Amino acid sequence: MTGQPDYNAMSDDDFRAMVRSFVEASYPDIPRHSLSRLHWNEVKPWYLILSQKGWICPTWPREHGGMGLTAGKHLIMIEEFERFGCARVNDIGPVMLGPLLLRHGTEAQKAHFLPRILSGEDVWAQGYSEPGAGSDLAAVRCEAVRDGDDWVINGQKTWCTLGMDANWIFILARTDKTVKKQAGISFLLVPMDAPGVTIRNIDNLELEAEFCEVFFDDVRVPADHIVGRVNDGWSVAKALLGHERVFIGAPRLSASALARLGHIARRAGVWNDPVFRDRYVTLQCDVMDLSDLFETYVDRLRDGREIGADVAMLKIFQSELYQRISELMMEVAAEDSGLRAPPEGDRQLHAAATWLSARPTTIFGGSTEIMRNMLAKAVLELPS
Amino acid sequence: MMDGAMNEDWVENARMIVESARAVVPADGTLARVRAARFQGCGFDRAVMAQAAELGWPLMRVAEDAGGLGLGLRETCALMEVLGAGLVPEPVLSTITAAALLQGALPEEAMTGEAVIVTAWQDATGDQGWQGGARDGALHGAKVNVAGAEGTDLFAVLTGAGVAIVPRDAQRVTVESAETLDGCRPARVRFDGVAAEFLPCPQAEAVLQDARLAHAAYLLGLSGRALEITLDYLRVREQFGRPIGSFQSLQHRATEMKISLELSRAAIFATARRFDAGADPRARAHGAARCKLRASGLAMLVAREAVQMHGAMGITDEADIGLFVRKAMAEANTYGSPREQRATLAGLLAEEHAA
Repeated sequence: MTGQPDYNAMSDDDFRAMVRSFVEASYPDIPRHSLSRLHWNEVKPWYLILSQKGWICPTWPREHGGMGLTAGKHLIMIEEFERFGCARVNDIGPVMLGPLLLRHGTEAQKAHFLPRILSGEDVWAQGYSEPGAGSDLAAVRCEAVRDGDDWVINGQKTWCTLGMDANWIFILARTDKTVKKQAGISFLLVPMDAPGVTIRNIDNLELEAEFCEVFFDDVRVPADHIVGRVNDGWSVAKALLGHERVFIGAPRLSASALARLGHIARRAGVWNDPVFRDRYVTLQCDVMDLSDLFETYVDRLRDGREIGADVAMLKIFQSELYQRISELMMEVAAEDSGLRAPPEGDRQLHAAATWLSARPTTIFGGSTEIMRNMLAKAVLELPS
Repeated sequence: MMDGAMNEDWVENARMIVESARAVVPADGTLARVRAARFQGCGFDRAVMAQAAELGWPLMRVAEDAGGLGLGLRETCALMEVLGAGLVPEPVLSTITAAALLQGALPEEAMTGEAVIVTAWQDATGDQGWQGGARDGALHGAKVNVAGAEGTDLFAVLTGAGVAIVPRDAQRVTVESAETLDGCRPARVRFDGVAAEFLPCPQAEAVLQDARLAHAAYLLGLSGRALEITLDYLRVREQFGRPIGSFQSLQHRATEMKISLELSRAAIFATARRFDAGADPRARAHGAARCKLRASGLAMLVAREAVQMHGAMGITDEADIGLFVRKAMAEANTYGSPREQRATLAGLLAEEHAA
């Protein structure tokens, strides 16, 4: 796990070639280019291969078992994984909790939890949203009360992506009801096998159990399972979003959807139809404009400049564009748009799968509407 | 390719050019000169064109070994963005284009600013064709939508046979201008068998693509400033006891304008960088059309929203925002409407032949 080379010292081209040949040689016999998330039992071999290689946590510092990649090198790695169609692993530990513990965790927490993420021994879920706290996340009601050396947790979390695969969950819990809502929240770590934890899977529109609800019924965790100070969980959680925010707006989802749109159009015999082309080229330009805007953020990351609130523009445009492409796909697929299974067994022709997979992109990770509120205030400086 | 096109100092060059533009575009955004010049005489101020020549703008896209500055398209776009923000009515881009077509053959008096030269290239409205006009060593027919035609001294007339320099007051040249909404006077220029010398111009299509991209940058500047003015208004205008900018419906629409603005800016400067680095003909045609498509849409989006968000003030001539709306309407479709750009782009898609 230690002794990772200094990848940042490599040239971009050499680094890219190395990542490419590793992926091509090492990717296990699991699906590629999947539109839906794979579960742990399917994706685990890939996680372990990356873990073995020391590549599971690209952005963590090398002294903590990461690759210590700069944003520019990390982008190359992401691009190569995308190019090959590597399945996304259960990455809440590597992407969210790890960086958060590195910043806010105690030495004991780091020493205990980080190696277990690196090895794949622990798979983490995120417990933020609740039935009454989605976009208004600070309204969380799930409660933790101090009792001796324990926190006692009661309440419910929902929309936990791949939560059924996890053996740990981090949650935002209310620890003070008497103060302003953001000020009374703490960040707690909870083992999923603790007595009183119950899970219920939720099927999405694709009829797949991609997320779940988690219920806490007098669940006890030791006092040291808190990250940051008591009642400081809101700022701990908010600091989580680093340069990952840029990648949420990467053009790759839209670009690959556009390629599938072309495939569907050829198969439907409308590729040369001027009515289709008029709409296709508009979407094509949108994808290319998004790529150019995305590159300006990548340049900022490369130069080590700060990424501001304006990065939300990328996510808004990307997710809405992905949806618009999927809408034209449905039209072009015509009656085949209603098929549950891919036409002719060709997943590239499955318009409905893209349309459905495009829905959550404007909801999760900050809904488009919340992002626009935030942009209006933080970037356009419009009044409240 | 221009000598300076690969120059990595473009940021510094652009900064200096933008700085120099302050001589023409007041830093405080006042539009008094622009407002006063509307619907007067030839529609622009020849003294400003002389100033532009002193600043070296006509020579931006003339190669250094031809006596020019050899600057890149990024610098040109940076200048055009500032001119757009200032709603500058002078035909600066048309002059830069004429010089780029003529290179070393640019007349001395046009270089020094004693004479104004503009480009006459377009054969027909709603069409980007420019090959017409030359027959048996003479100019025939018309070039349309010629910016600055009423106030120019020389035309650089682009045809399939090459580019010809024709004085505005030459025999058998007729200028038929019409006022546009913004107070300029572009014209149809008729040539009734005007003997001319045609200089070969193999780079003509590329120069027009450059102009299309630079014009997109003008629309970017116009839109950016119109958005700023509109945001200022949203911050101060109160109704129902609150600034109207606090209303969510207006906030969300404002973010839509901002996103479109930033997409345009990123696309224009990335495309200019590719042009400067030497893009292939297909990539050039595609890039110019894409940026112009985005910028035209942006300018009209901001124009519509600016009027609506200004309420009744938005439909008065008194408010400056109206100057932006009129300019957007007059300029959004020059160098090709969105329909034309999409047609170009659709034509660039590979044909699929039925098996």
